[in-house]
Amino acid sequence: MSALITTHGLTKRYGGRTVVDGLDLRVPEGCVYGFLGPNGAGKTTTMKMLLSLVRPTSGEVRIAGRRMDRSTRRGLLSEIGSLIESPPGYGHLTGAENMRLVQRLLRLDDGQVARAVRTARLQDHIDRPVRTYSLGMKQRLGIAMALAGEPRLLVLDEPANGLDPAGIDEMRRLIRRLTGDGTTVMVSSHLLDEVDRTADVLGILGGGRMLFQGTREELFARSVPDVLVDTFEPERAAALAGAWGAVLDAGTVRVPGLGERETARLVARLVQEGVDLHGVRRETRSLEDVFMDLTREEAL
Amino acid sequence: MTGRAVANEFAKMRRLRTAPALIALVLGVTVLTCGTALSSPGFTDSAGDASPHSWRVLLGSMGIAVPLVSPVLIAVMASRQVDIEHRGNGWTLAHASGVAPGALCRAKFASTGALVAAAVLAHSGLVVAFGRLVGITAPVPAGPWLGYTAWVTVVGLALLALHLLLAAWVPNQLVGLGIAVMGVFAALSSAGMPDRLAFLLPPWGYYGPAVPVGYRDGALVALTPPHLAALLLAAGAGALFLSATRRFDRQEA
Repeated sequence: MSALITTHGLTKRYGGRTVVDGLDLRVPEGCVYGFLGPNGAGKTTTMKMLLSLVRPTSGEVRIAGRRMDRSTRRGLLSEIGSLIESPPGYGHLTGAENMRLVQRLLRLDDGQVARAVRTARLQDHIDRPVRTYSLGMKQRLGIAMALAGEPRLLVLDEPANGLDPAGIDEMRRLIRRLTGDGTTVMVSSHLLDEVDRTADVLGILGGGRMLFQGTREELFARSVPDVLVDTFEPERAAALAGAWGAVLDAGTVRVPGLGERETARLVARLVQEGVDLHGVRRETRSLEDVFMDLTREEAL
Repeated sequence: MTGRAVANEFAKMRRLRTAPALIALVLGVTVLTCGTALSSPGFTDSAGDASPHSWRVLLGSMGIAVPLVSPVLIAVMASRQVDIEHRGNGWTLAHASGVAPGALCRAKFASTGALVAAAVLAHSGLVVAFGRLVGITAPVPAGPWLGYTAWVTVVGLALLALHLLLAAWVPNQLVGLGIAVMGVFAALSSAGMPDRLAFLLPPWGYYGPAVPVGYRDGALVALTPPHLAALLLAAGAGALFLSATRRFDRQEA
């Protein structure tokens, strides 16, 4: 699959503080790219650099193979819809009047605007002043504005912020529908659960650096779950397995970061020492746990 | 893109109470000018004369009404036009659509500036109509009248540019409005100052030297304002506005 967005060594520094550090992004065309990381990880700054709203300190951004900079940004932006930070919308105007501003600016026809409004399911509220909208409706108006130009790429910065569970679910379905139509969607979040079920590719950012980039399966494969040893003599088993970094955890011996061969050696040693084992298993881990581990390591 | 951005600025004025502010500007200056003139001794008595005295009274009255009314109302219009961008995340929306923040400010200047210029022409024309209505038979002193109208337009546009930049730079709109109120004092004081001193308070200080009439030895006489100063103000304010908005264009979101 060809990449629609690539960055090479993308870096942003404010004074002595590095916010984004040598990022090599690769967003395949036609996919949902989940851009994850805790608050302050550098997601919004990265997205702003992709849109040329913020100038990189070093490195480059390429959209569809073309370098994004001040001289090319206007042409490239016509292929990109975006929702960055808080949803846009002039409160004193109606939703329809806000859409007309976008229509005029991007020279769109009525059909394009109507389709965007329908896709965002805003048609029943479009004639109301935006100041009377709920946050969810404002997000949908922002998405309708971003979609109106029928962009090839949609960049959504925390679109589920402030939405209730039903709103988040609706946002997920909307994103899936869009990729079904061939749009590439890059969506950021600080919560894995928000994008886990929609993203084809995940990029995890921590402290401005890319901690992981790949599919959900690759992320799982990268993580080695703890080995849990169930025995009638947990204290003795924990002492014997101390060399492997074992700890006692609620009557179970927990050994982190153990590969398959080392697990076999550990079990052989415990059996050799006459420890009665009645279970050896890997801890079941959710993707959330893997994500938390990755970002926690970075925070430490 | 510029034309579409300007058209959008006119569209954004809907329900922004721009029209009431403009009407207040036109009627405020007109009513205050006419009221001041009517209370001036000899104004109605000389209306039927061939002397230009009554027109001079009207010009002098406009020289008080304009600086009293314009600075605050122009600041209010600029502030309202820019505040919606701060509140509605409009800077980022426009920037991501290819209209950088400085270009957005220039579009606002073009749209609101056209209305400010129209308002100046309107109150200037209404005062002439009032003069005719009260029976002034002498010909309108077209040169001084047009010169003053042009000068007031230049000062109004310079004020608008200043307040657009202030409102964009400082999100708290009370700052700009506070400066506008102080500007009224500077504008009114400039009438009693030597020109060189008044020019030290741009753009408000330019209202005083613009008035083409003044009292000399108790008589209201015609004066020749230093029109070159208005041209310099237009050039200076224009260059500063362009430079500042180009800087905004390079500013990061």
